[in-house]
Amino acid sequence: MQEQEMIAQLLQKDERGMEALLLHYGPLMRYIIAPILPDPQDREECLSEVSMRVWSRVAQFDPARGSWTAWLTAITRNTARNYQRSAQHRPGTQAIPEGTPAPDASPEEAILQAERSAAVHAALGRLSPGDRALFYRKYYYLQSTAQIASELGMTVRAVEGRLYRLKKQLRRMLGGEGHV
Amino acid sequence: MCDRPWETMTDADFEAMLAQSVPDTPPEEIVAEVTPWRRAMNRILFGMALCAVTLNFWCLNYILPAIGTVLLLLGFRALRRENRWLGGCFAIAVIRAVYFFATLILNTTILQSAVFTPAVTTAFTAGNAVLLLGLYFCFWRGLLAVQKKAGLPARAGGALALIVWHALVCVLAAVQYGGWVVPIAMLIGYGFLLRSLYRLSGTLDEAGYAIAPKPVRVTDRCLVLAIVVVLGIGCTLGYLFGGSYPMDWQPVDTSEQAQTEAVRQQLLDLGFPEDVLNDLTPEDIAACDGALRVVAEVENYPVNDGRTVSYKESDGEGGVVSVLDTVYDVKELRLTGVAVQLPSERETWMVFHHFLWTADPGFYGTEAIQIRPAYRSIPEGWAAAGDATGRVLYDRDGQTFAAPYASLGARTFTANTVLWGEQTNTDLFAAFSLPRHGERARGYVAYSTTEARDGNILSSGEYYVHQQTWLQYPVVTAMEKRLTAAWGDTGAFRTVQDVLQFDPVDEGTETPP
Repeated sequence: MQEQEMIAQLLQKDERGMEALLLHYGPLMRYIIAPILPDPQDREECLSEVSMRVWSRVAQFDPARGSWTAWLTAITRNTARNYQRSAQHRPGTQAIPEGTPAPDASPEEAILQAERSAAVHAALGRLSPGDRALFYRKYYYLQSTAQIASELGMTVRAVEGRLYRLKKQLRRMLGGEGHV
Repeated sequence: MCDRPWETMTDADFEAMLAQSVPDTPPEEIVAEVTPWRRAMNRILFGMALCAVTLNFWCLNYILPAIGTVLLLLGFRALRRENRWLGGCFAIAVIRAVYFFATLILNTTILQSAVFTPAVTTAFTAGNAVLLLGLYFCFWRGLLAVQKKAGLPARAGGALALIVWHALVCVLAAVQYGGWVVPIAMLIGYGFLLRSLYRLSGTLDEAGYAIAPKPVRVTDRCLVLAIVVVLGIGCTLGYLFGGSYPMDWQPVDTSEQAQTEAVRQQLLDLGFPEDVLNDLTPEDIAACDGALRVVAEVENYPVNDGRTVSYKESDGEGGVVSVLDTVYDVKELRLTGVAVQLPSERETWMVFHHFLWTADPGFYGTEAIQIRPAYRSIPEGWAAAGDATGRVLYDRDGQTFAAPYASLGARTFTANTVLWGEQTNTDLFAAFSLPRHGERARGYVAYSTTEARDGNILSSGEYYVHQQTWLQYPVVTAMEKRLTAAWGDTGAFRTVQDVLQFDPVDEGTETPP
């Protein structure tokens, strides 16, 4: 099935569009969710939630701003992240790691965050394509070092070494050697 | 969230800040790249394309398949545990890689022609074709299995077509199809096939997210480096130690000359060059007992490029023209042809072709002598009378060492020449190597011929082939080069031609300088 046809069906709230989405893009969504949510049941529930979000927000997809896969990746990743946060708040779940940003930031924090995002974005643009992909795997897709190593044909130690050098380079680009 | 400046952030804060600062939507190239599948698939497809390409220049017929073999190895390694079919692909890729890289190393030695006899080559070619068919078959089934796992409809027609295409190539090779039309059509078809596979790879991206590459103990980079290092060391050792014949050098017993002193003196009296005579085996000297006549010719030849000089000379019409000429200051190779008439009912001659390096030959690889005997030059006038004999010698610290040729005898060969087309000839060939630390390297080849019909001149040709550099791939010996009748200074070899030619009716000797 063509991508456009599937999107058209989703826009028309045709259930065949949803079937096509799960058939053709289910593996991609699962691939993105898996590193963020370790529990298989959470993953399946998250997948259902992503599907519902796509169903309800498909009208927001603008081909001029990016590909369908990129949009779907973003919506899947963000849903999984939200699911992760809510799971962490549930009783009996593990504590939130130090440094995890609060879901609702103050206006001041939001401005600061925007500035930092712009600086990081500019620094990413100066990285080599390989390092940039590594950065996204680690900090966007939140893949484990082991997963990155397997997919890139590297050992875990080699990935850790590259990530260490990458962070050092980014810190230098962003203006400080600090505690690295 | 920590709001401290970059330079004062702890490592944990910095990590958290990075995780929170990533853009909401990833760039397109990242979306395309972050998949467990495409990297491996691209390697496999490029590998298949490169392994099928045969460009016979600049060693690309070795370099491109070598890169392709590595890519196939890396691609299938990543997918080997995904399903048993892709595991089979990896196993076949390993077997083919071992065979291919061993061949690449073997090609840097002169052993390759001994190992790859026509029978072995045929067996390996057939085995390789079967392996490649097996690889394509497993690849096709592997793709279907991946799609099935992802719950997608089976679509891998491109891979199936690859099997059919390769089977057709095997059939064409088996029937030794010599035309151009079908191969060109096949080549174009292969281009379409690869494009189809590339598109298939794109559509398989959907299924590809379902695979999970297994961890590796050795990184791809290390694997490639290991292959490069093994190849580098293997080829270096091959060029260093596999580029010359093993020769059975033994000190020459000086007392052996005394056994044939009478015959020696007889030959010297007839004008046999003494320095050539000193190199003959007692058996060859004894064979000349009762010699009637000796005809000898000596010539020094350059085995270097010389130097170009320009000078002016009259054009014969009152003007002056500039002339460019090549001058050889050193002529390293002395070739001496000696014919000894033996007492016999029918006129019989024993012909000696002797060589002497009067200067350092430069490179010590393989050497070859091709003798076109009188009975081959003028078959109606002369007939063969016995086998060829000869040996190689050199001096070191006042001691003379001698060795039999690595091979000596008649060889029938078919060669394509520009002037005469395809010709089959049978000549005498001697193959050998010279020692690096010797002086006055020399040797000779002798044969006998009997007159078959009166009135013919005796013409005996000699081609001396010297290897002047190690830089050749695959390595061929001077004799193998000569067997292709490649003339002149081609590639790593330089050929010097000489001929002993005289009319037996005349008498005469030429004293060597």
